[in-house]
Amino acid sequence: MVYYFIGSVLPYITLVVFTVGVLYRLGRWVGARIVHRIVLSPFSTTPTDVVVNIGAEAVFFRSMFRMDKKLWVGAWLFHVALFSVLGGHLLGIYTLGDEFTYIGASKVLSEHMSDLLGESFGILLFVALLYLLYRRVTIREVRLVSATSDYLHLFLLIGIVGIGDLMRLVPAWGIEYFPVRQWITGILMGSPVPFPQVPLFAVHMLLVQILMMVFPYSKLMHALGMFANRWILHKMYLDPAPGLPGVTAPAGEAYRPFMGSQAIGGGVS
Amino acid sequence: MRKLHVIPVPDDQKVAKAIEYMDKIRKKFRSFTLAMESCTKCGLCAENCHTYLGTRDPNNIPTGRADLMRKVYKRYFTPQGRLFGKLVGAEDLTLDMIEKWYSYFYQCNECRRCAMVCPFGIDTCEVTFIGRQILHWLGIEPKLHNHTGAAMQKTGNHMGFPKAGIVDTLEFLADDVQEEFGATIRFPVDEPADILYVPSSADLSLNEYTIKGAGMFFNYIGAKWTIPSTLLEAGNFGLLFDQEAVMRDNMRRLVDAVVDLGIKKVVWGECGHGWRTYKHYMDSTLDRPLRVPVTHLHDEVAECIRQGKLVLDPTRNKEPVTLHDPCNYGRACGLIDNLRYVISHVVTDFREMTPNRQFNFCCGGGSAILFDDPVMYDLRIKFSQKKAEQVRATGVGDNGDGILCAPCSICKAQLYPMVEEHELGVHVNGLIDLVGKALVWPGQA
Repeated sequence: MVYYFIGSVLPYITLVVFTVGVLYRLGRWVGARIVHRIVLSPFSTTPTDVVVNIGAEAVFFRSMFRMDKKLWVGAWLFHVALFSVLGGHLLGIYTLGDEFTYIGASKVLSEHMSDLLGESFGILLFVALLYLLYRRVTIREVRLVSATSDYLHLFLLIGIVGIGDLMRLVPAWGIEYFPVRQWITGILMGSPVPFPQVPLFAVHMLLVQILMMVFPYSKLMHALGMFANRWILHKMYLDPAPGLPGVTAPAGEAYRPFMGSQAIGGGVS
Repeated sequence: MRKLHVIPVPDDQKVAKAIEYMDKIRKKFRSFTLAMESCTKCGLCAENCHTYLGTRDPNNIPTGRADLMRKVYKRYFTPQGRLFGKLVGAEDLTLDMIEKWYSYFYQCNECRRCAMVCPFGIDTCEVTFIGRQILHWLGIEPKLHNHTGAAMQKTGNHMGFPKAGIVDTLEFLADDVQEEFGATIRFPVDEPADILYVPSSADLSLNEYTIKGAGMFFNYIGAKWTIPSTLLEAGNFGLLFDQEAVMRDNMRRLVDAVVDLGIKKVVWGECGHGWRTYKHYMDSTLDRPLRVPVTHLHDEVAECIRQGKLVLDPTRNKEPVTLHDPCNYGRACGLIDNLRYVISHVVTDFREMTPNRQFNFCCGGGSAILFDDPVMYDLRIKFSQKKAEQVRATGVGDNGDGILCAPCSICKAQLYPMVEEHELGVHVNGLIDLVGKALVWPGQA
């Protein structure tokens, strides 16, 4: 009964809540205009600048790196691990662990690599989350500005990642790629197959679906909000050309005869 | 308030009206909506805000300050806030909260350092702007801002000078220049010309060397220039408390002056927030298009130096000099390198403070937090704490003869008393002041 709900009913609710939520949030943003030019200088002056500026922030967390190295280590590693794990899930489940055969590895080696990378990034992700939680609790300023939901998001992620890591590290509690792929395919095709009877996997999927439903209605949307914000701040801007009208004859020239060889400073061009 | 044509909202309607105004604004300004919705509370902004560093008040952490509004926003405009309330940090709007808005949005210098450091680029300055806008519509704002707005409306400058006074003062200043620098100069007012120079009105009373420097510069290059008596004000307090009526009204004065005097190019004087307003907000605010370019004085001075139009003697400014990058130049207007180019040609001992350029800290007076009442004056000293540390670290004031170059009227107004309070051993100057002193006139070699 529980398995049926988590495996065959909830996914559809999740998909609707998630999709509607994201579109609703994006709609709110698009509905409001960029009224004034509130760019940050130094300006982006070419389209390449715009891409470089937004890219450096999105990929390397540039401003965080400049201003707070400790937070950068935690946050950047967390996000790298997060996207690696998400990518690993996608590839691993889709190819059933064969993803590295496409770059020349044998089937056995590919599965080993898949396991090893999954374990490494999974643990890294878990540690990074614990660090972010530690930081939220111990740094006075961060604690002061945190709401209950800020902790709940972290606990939810720690729960998902912790269970995922357990399933990786204790094979008896884990699950193979194949039944997972069968289940996901069933969901996406609109004809659900029975949910694999693995308790930890059920809890894992329950928490993931809660996360997906929370995502559009929380600060987790910063993943998209970041680009929307940067789009305003790094818009292209070109300064008007300098040069004063009606001042064609360089006045300095006219005075130079009086100056002789002692002229200082001027004449740099 | 009536002078600015605003009727204050009675107390029992303030909450309802504030929510109504906020709803209107969130549907209009994407920058505001995003600031309300994207913060992850990483706390990176805390250590990068000089008002928090000076006061250690949690409501002065940029995200904490924005939270005063974000809590209300969540409560009324998001599903999670309506359903879960306190759990997600949502809160009902009360008169107490409105009072907190007034207190803390007028403790923010709107320097945008938090916007620069924020990993997501959340511009907390926008939140402060909107907060002050709503307060203005409710009929709540400091006397200083209100009176300045009213003086602007009446006379076209913040100090309330009438035209006769302006002409008189400028003639007096021209005589001064003659005596001190041996140069014959003239300050044309309201004359048809090619170049319109818009100085800050404070230059006529507080920063006389700034207007003298600009006057000497324009006379030196033989420009056909003029100062408009109808807009003797580089600043625009509209940006700081009413980006609708007041800001637009002030801008209209510029277009009128340009058309009436047949101007070909507008040159902006030393004012940080004003330069930001007229550089970036005109396109989106003017009712009529302005067809002439507007540039900043120091971009033009730098250009003239590059073209060899100025003969400068840096040995006339031998004191050690450090440069305070006004926030609006560094983070909003990209006026960074030219300041250094100019300063390197007019002084002999220039020392950078750290951090500098776009990373610089605000003077603590940004957005006209220049109140004189004891409580706010005390806060101003705290806000300038970080600046004082920076200046001390450069060592320019060690012999008591240093110069703190701050090319912005509000920075000057804040720093004049603050360098005394912190005993920095420096005096405060604009940048064009130093240019004026370094200019070598014919026959002076």
